[in-house]
Amino acid sequence: MHVNFHATLRRDPWFLSGVTLSALFLILALLGPFLAPFSPWNMDFIPLSPPSATHLLGVNDGGQDIFSELLYAIRNTFVFGVISASTALFLGVLLGAVAGWFGGVVDLILMRLADVLLAIPAIMILILVAALFRPSPVFLALILSGLMWPTISKTIRAQTLNLKQSLHVRAARQMGGGSGYIIAKHLIPEMFPLYLIGFAAKARMAMFMEASLAFLGLLDPSRKSLGMMISYALQFYYMDIWWHWLFPPIICLSLMIMMVTFLAISLEKVLDPRLKESMPGRRL
Amino acid sequence: MIRNAHKLTRNDLGLVITFLIAASVMTWLSYSLPRFLPGDFVTATYGSSQVTLTAEQEAALRDYYGENEGFGNYLLRLVHLDWGYSYGFQTPVSALFFSALPWTILLMGSAHLISMVIGFVAGVEAAWRRNRPFEKGLVGGMTVLEGIPEICTGVILLFVFALQLQWFPAAGAETAYGEKVFLAHVLDVVHHLTLPLCTLVLAYFPGNFLLTRNSMMMVIMADYVNTARAKGLPPLRIRYVHAARNALIPVVTRFGMRLAFMITGALVVEKINAYPGVGTLLYNAIAARDLPVIQVVVLMSSLLILAIFFALEFAYRLIDPRIHHAR
Repeated sequence: MHVNFHATLRRDPWFLSGVTLSALFLILALLGPFLAPFSPWNMDFIPLSPPSATHLLGVNDGGQDIFSELLYAIRNTFVFGVISASTALFLGVLLGAVAGWFGGVVDLILMRLADVLLAIPAIMILILVAALFRPSPVFLALILSGLMWPTISKTIRAQTLNLKQSLHVRAARQMGGGSGYIIAKHLIPEMFPLYLIGFAAKARMAMFMEASLAFLGLLDPSRKSLGMMISYALQFYYMDIWWHWLFPPIICLSLMIMMVTFLAISLEKVLDPRLKESMPGRRL
Repeated sequence: MIRNAHKLTRNDLGLVITFLIAASVMTWLSYSLPRFLPGDFVTATYGSSQVTLTAEQEAALRDYYGENEGFGNYLLRLVHLDWGYSYGFQTPVSALFFSALPWTILLMGSAHLISMVIGFVAGVEAAWRRNRPFEKGLVGGMTVLEGIPEICTGVILLFVFALQLQWFPAAGAETAYGEKVFLAHVLDVVHHLTLPLCTLVLAYFPGNFLLTRNSMMMVIMADYVNTARAKGLPPLRIRYVHAARNALIPVVTRFGMRLAFMITGALVVEKINAYPGVGTLLYNAIAARDLPVIQVVVLMSSLLILAIFFALEFAYRLIDPRIHHAR
């Protein structure tokens, strides 16, 4: 489609820093359990001790090693974002392509559903479900993606409507290609770079929500999370814990949100000329 | 355009239906989800006691505690502001909610107003001066700032300005038992508002700025802006009367998408600064497992958000006359 978006992206400093940060956090998320010097649930250490050679970031009030906690928390937040964003991406691309391709009643129902879901504030549903049922984070991530797909599917639908008229898709149809074949072999591969914007934007939302839910105390307290670490550390704000207990999770969370923000912004910038033409009307 | 705005088109009707469905889904969820919970109050109270209840007595107790309440009755209670009693605070939930709501409206309203106005003007001016070093630096800085969530800005501002410098209070919305005269009271409220407000403005401002700048960049290249320039109109008039009006449209449309972030952020910021708004109420309710409060706060905030969305959709139609002519 956009012929040299690769070259443009490779020159964009925001994209490069986003990719660098993603690589860093991917490694930390994958290797976290091996890099952590202690188990984050091990409560054997002297509570609230300052940083030392054995405990790089000191020990928290429960006698747990903060550095190990941090590594596990990064992993959990990262995984939550990836699960949520990829499910939302899958749903959004599939339903968007289906709605655009089939049109008619299918389109009407799917887009009406999308409008309703867009209007519903996702965080409120998450708070209600998390407060009542204490579900597993994966379940919450899936609920979130069930609420987040509409923005992606609206973009994909608009693009599908454009592609539907293009010569090669009409040719493929003429040759007897079925709907499933054309969606899988033509529409979805051709809209490739467009998904990435949606993926980055949704990952950003998901990580932000995860951190906030954990901060509000809605997630399993034994599951390490950046938001929860900040919330616990903040209870000891009057002590000298700012530099080694409070700021590390804050910096990590900021860097993670920055990573997806940079990716989303640079991708949108590069792919925007097409987006602008293909997406008239309202984008709620 | 003004004449058309009053006519209810088919599309407007679709919009109304969408929002009605969304509102009923939220109401129904807030009614039905708690009912899926295992166990109930009557069993919990009398299950292990010496009293053996007959079936009728049990049914009567269940009725008394409203456990078999129908959806219709629930709706009636909602409308009558009879939202039940908080377990934790031992007060009517409606009293709690309405004492917290004004603070949240003050905080979020002023944060949105400030970040919208400054973000918009800065975005327009930045687009006008594009590719100058200062503008590039500003855009870079804003992109970085956009990546810092409210949790982080909130805690850092609290650390620097409340704990280290001690310029602003770290908690509350007014000095307790202050008994101040009007002006002093207002100043006191503003003093307490500053930190959470700055946190939210720092969180909302970059988004408004970047969106306005990007859409303004597109608008500036349009032919009609060149025409206005060729006519010799003053630059300020071109910028704001001709161009910025159209640059405003994407900012308004995207606002809805960003609102989900903003609400979440506001909840967290209120908690960090211990601001007595709806977010802190929700946090305390969650910490105490105070289900009636959680239920009502979630439902009422959702309905308020839906109302804001709905108003925005119409605002958008008013700003962009093309929508009416196109459909």
